[in-house]
Amino acid sequence: MESTQPVPVTILTGFLGSGKTTLLNRILSEEHGKRIAVIENEFGEVGIDQALVIDADEEIFEMSNGCICCTVRGDLIRVLGNLMKRRDKFDYVLVETTGLADPGPVAQTFFMDEEIGEEFSLDGIVTLVDAAHIDQQLGRSDESTEQVAFADVLVLNKTDLVEPQKIDLLEARLREMNRMARVVRCEMGDVPVETVLNLSAFDLDQALERRPTFLEPEYPFEWTGVYALEPGRYGLSLAEGPDPAMSLVVASNQGVDDAALRDGAEWCVRRYAEPAVPLAPGDAIPFAQHVNLELDSSGRKSFTLEVEAADRVGLYTQHTAEEFELQLIDDNGAVVEPEAERTWVAQHEHDDEVGSISIERDGDVDPEKLNAWLGELLREKGVDIFRMKGFISLAGESDRFVFQGVHMIFDSQPDRPWGAEPRTNQLVFIGRNLDEQGMREGFEACLI
Amino acid sequence: MSDLKVGEPIGVLRHGWFAGVDDYAIAGGWTGGGEALVVADAAGGLCAFDARNGKEAWAKPQSHEGGILSLDLRPGHSEVATAGQDGRVVVRRVDDGEELCALDVGEGWIDNVAWSPDGKWLAASCSKRVSVFGSDGREVWRSDDQPSTISALAWSGAGELAAACYGRVAFFGAAAGELRQEFTWQGSLVSMALSPDGEYVVCGSQDNSVHFWRRSTGQDSRMGGYPAKPSALAFDPTGEYLATGGGDTAIVWNFSGDGPEGTSPGYLELHDQLITTLAWACRGRCLATGARDDTVAIWSIQRDGQGKGIGGAILDDIVSSLCWRPDGRALAALDAQGGVTAWRVGNK
Repeated sequence: MESTQPVPVTILTGFLGSGKTTLLNRILSEEHGKRIAVIENEFGEVGIDQALVIDADEEIFEMSNGCICCTVRGDLIRVLGNLMKRRDKFDYVLVETTGLADPGPVAQTFFMDEEIGEEFSLDGIVTLVDAAHIDQQLGRSDESTEQVAFADVLVLNKTDLVEPQKIDLLEARLREMNRMARVVRCEMGDVPVETVLNLSAFDLDQALERRPTFLEPEYPFEWTGVYALEPGRYGLSLAEGPDPAMSLVVASNQGVDDAALRDGAEWCVRRYAEPAVPLAPGDAIPFAQHVNLELDSSGRKSFTLEVEAADRVGLYTQHTAEEFELQLIDDNGAVVEPEAERTWVAQHEHDDEVGSISIERDGDVDPEKLNAWLGELLREKGVDIFRMKGFISLAGESDRFVFQGVHMIFDSQPDRPWGAEPRTNQLVFIGRNLDEQGMREGFEACLI
Repeated sequence: MSDLKVGEPIGVLRHGWFAGVDDYAIAGGWTGGGEALVVADAAGGLCAFDARNGKEAWAKPQSHEGGILSLDLRPGHSEVATAGQDGRVVVRRVDDGEELCALDVGEGWIDNVAWSPDGKWLAASCSKRVSVFGSDGREVWRSDDQPSTISALAWSGAGELAAACYGRVAFFGAAAGELRQEFTWQGSLVSMALSPDGEYVVCGSQDNSVHFWRRSTGQDSRMGGYPAKPSALAFDPTGEYLATGGGDTAIVWNFSGDGPEGTSPGYLELHDQLITTLAWACRGRCLATGARDDTVAIWSIQRDGQGKGIGGAILDDIVSSLCWRPDGRALAALDAQGGVTAWRVGNK
């Protein structure tokens, strides 16, 4: 009897011109040891070699019951149905959809069709975003919004064509819409292959193995400036701003590329979790420590920063540099310009219809109440819920419970035992016009 | 039949021969006189085996670049048509494998190929279109685009061709391709069987149901509750019984009299994974079923549609197709590893 693992499938979505084919070619050339089959719904911008490529016209099959979660992609069923007869010939399948594709039916195909579900496992949905054009597209088309909402990874491509600050704002907007997705920035589709393949994003067995949370972190700081500094004494000068104090962490040896900034940010999130040391104007700022700068006196205030050896220093500030007219000044009184800047600010100005709701609560949940609440939520709002993930602490159960879903398709199972760990719940929903207040109250009522 | 062992057929299945093809065996068929078995594989190869001992008569590897999708033997002639991912239909002589003609049907996969029962017409579908060819290999007609890719073809007698797809079944005149009848249904029709008398057209639907129509009145019915899509369907030679897959249990509906509505079907329980293929022997209400769990079962179907297991075997891999020899005295089973197993069927 067959005991082989299902073949993983990654879906690449994104508007025409967002760079799907470039990324596809990059994956194929880097993974040359692997045998990859590619299913394409549109002719790519450039040719593809080194892979079995199958062109298929998109065919959406809706069912007579009108249920949108039963809507599947007939072309994928047909092509995958044939590919599974040759499954020993390849290790991985990439599906490149058109820019106008609705990701829902593509994902649902793997859950609604028994045979496809047995032979293939949906590994993840990767959405390419053209940094230069997505802002207009998001306003204009449901498809691009849903592609963002469904994504496990958002590849922010062509960042070289857009000002850094605009990209920061764009990233903030995308993160508001989809807080489960990991955002990766790149130029020319140049992302590390491991950030888009083998994600196991729909696999409950591995749901929380890599990271303890389904949420991408919300940063407690809004701005980072990276300065290349020679040894010496510097002054950090701030004017009056909107708040009487501001938190800060100074990182040593800070890189300037996207990956280094993200690593630094994750490290700083942990520093920020520690209690802040209050500093008065004139005090020296220690490295790698959460400090709180007292800024309630009038006029500009200065704190000192001692640099012992040449270093690239990262300042992770609670507010943007602009708000306090932050400046770094050297021994000679000259202003040092940052080598790189990044804004981490969360933006609410766009007010997109699609957004993420996360509920995080300690305590145990009554299984019956939870069932009733979730059942009703999915019946009434399932059409508007694109993705959901979470873990639950069920009363009377020693194991943590994990779930994930696409529209009304809901999949759950016991996970590892809680052990000594505090029992807590996390639920993340990505959807359209979700009633955040109502959902919070609904879940609250399930707690014991 | 819990005493099944790999390679040891029991009950009415008796040792015959074992052979193999190079890849997943997709489809097969016996010649009309039962002299040879022709088998197509997923890599595009075609092989013929001597019915007596399983000796390979000929092999045509790479008959279709990319793989073969469908195969049909021409009634009344020793010829086989194959269709593949290369957009072609190839007709070969079964005796020696020689290519008689190759038809360029279209750009893309040719999913289905089917000879009319009189062997006069050859139908093939490519994407949303169906084409019918004469015996000289010339295209006689070609349909308009159907609502979606055609999933199944079936001839109703010699005069009409039925094509099923997402949303409808259409009947075309064999000679000119005029649309004679159509039935619409919002669902993806993944398989199709016509009753021998031509009255019923039955389709398995992606929504895990069986949908059927009476051609004389247009009246339709739906049989739901299947755990999976019924991709295997077969009427017995009398047209009284319809066997359906769509789960681990084969379900047999009684179509005699007023039809199956309101009746309870027979449940054939043995397989513990999805049924992949069903085939009736030419007589004796004898049904063979094969499944993803590598097992083959032979059933004697009673009047009420219930069945008694009378034979079985386990293969090395998923059973992909079952083909009765026309005389009903032998059964061939194809599997996902390319195994070709033939058993004699009988009590001695």
